[in-house]
Amino acid sequence: MKLLNHPIEMIAVFDIDGKITPAKFRYEDKVVRVEKIIKRQKEKLAGNERWVFTCMHQQNYLYELKYEIDTQKWFLFKK
Amino acid sequence: MSDKIIFHIDVNSAFLSWHQAYYRQIGRDENLLEDYYAIGGNEKKRHGIVLAKSIPAKKMGVKTGQSLMEARQICPKLKVIPPRYDVYVKASKKLRELLMSYTPLVEVFSIDECFMDMSGTSIIQKSVEKGAFFLKEKVKKEFGYTVNIGISNCKLLAKQASEFEKPDKVHTLFPEEVPHKLWPLPVEELFMVGNKTKIKLQRIGIETIEQLASCETSLLETLMKSHGRLIQQYAKGIDDSIFVKKEGLPFKGIGNGSTIAFDVIDQETARHILLSLVETASARLREANLVCNVVSVGIKSSEFLNFGKQRKLSFFTDVTQTLYQEAIQLFSEIWDGKPIRHFSVRFSNLEWSYRKQIHWFNSQIDYKMEALDPVIDRIRDKYGTYSVMRGCYVHSGLEPLLGGYPDDDYPDMSSLL
Repeated sequence: MKLLNHPIEMIAVFDIDGKITPAKFRYEDKVVRVEKIIKRQKEKLAGNERWVFTCMHQQNYLYELKYEIDTQKWFLFKK
Repeated sequence: MSDKIIFHIDVNSAFLSWHQAYYRQIGRDENLLEDYYAIGGNEKKRHGIVLAKSIPAKKMGVKTGQSLMEARQICPKLKVIPPRYDVYVKASKKLRELLMSYTPLVEVFSIDECFMDMSGTSIIQKSVEKGAFFLKEKVKKEFGYTVNIGISNCKLLAKQASEFEKPDKVHTLFPEEVPHKLWPLPVEELFMVGNKTKIKLQRIGIETIEQLASCETSLLETLMKSHGRLIQQYAKGIDDSIFVKKEGLPFKGIGNGSTIAFDVIDQETARHILLSLVETASARLREANLVCNVVSVGIKSSEFLNFGKQRKLSFFTDVTQTLYQEAIQLFSEIWDGKPIRHFSVRFSNLEWSYRKQIHWFNSQIDYKMEALDPVIDRIRDKYGTYSVMRGCYVHSGLEPLLGGYPDDDYPDMSSLL
């Protein structure tokens, strides 16, 4: 996986319990559907809270999405 | 007092550690702590000083407070990163929040230091040291940076303890440990002993903290007045400061400064510049609902000499005109007519404006001015900063509102225990 930390446009589901699930996002003019979320965890490096989603694409590519709570921005972190 | 357990939490190389953790988060893999790095002012504008440095840079002789140019001469490989105060303030706030979840008694000492009163809390029930280790590891795991924790039964000793060996360590310094842990250290390691005091003490042959503790009190008093008594108490490990939970004012002072593009040589230009600085600083004062009663003015000559003066007023105010009058008065007292490159004004000793004491000798004009300022602020807010400006700036080539780069103190910084 390569580090990107690239801001992206995202459509996500926020359910009634406050759980966040990314659904699809736009990257380099392509729309990518989030197929499978393998792991979700919260990181608080230097106190900055971000949700980290490790996702799988087409059953063999791993990539990481991050959602920064304070700024409400989504990032494609690694792909 | 003696049954208390106080922790002192100190973030190791705070700015760099936080920057590093931030870099890790955004996926940059530079290792700031293990290479020649410093956090310093804006490089492009070529002004600024070293705010923090990595350990290798420290070994090369880079010091906090040095100008970046000096630092580069000492350490040519030095890489300078501009500071990200937003990151640091957030990191500091979140650390505080975490600590608050273990004890409600957290006293903020500076942006990267906190005292915690841990007496009777659950995490130190089994062992005090284990509790501290737990906390230290928790911070490391959760936030991605390391802290030092000093343990004692008063704030002073806890602070001294956390200074012992860095980074990522827990130290204890209880009163019974003072003779073998604190006393052999050189005197400048003691809290409140700075460069000046150190020189004074060395002149009377005091090199270690033990010598200071056993010195005749009257000798220290003649030399340094009450400060002498204080540091001797500290050297003995006596500190009867109380735990204060600070609430209140968001700033300690509001200031504004600017380096002027040319050297200022005449009184009138200087006054205009001061006025423009006062305008922005006093607007910030009013925006925060604060009033001040100390005004200070600082100038830097083209030869880089600093002059400054401050005065305490007999009343609290936030009125631009009054503050400006005071500022030019101070300015005329310090200026010797030499060219000036930098001006600064600062307002301190703040108080909430709703608590303001009505001033006996206010004239009609003062009341009118007081009513005028908020109106101007609102106009500027609504129609743009330059929608109203003073006539003296028309075609003067000077900025009617100078500064704006926040120059405020961190709210909780203090050198008092």
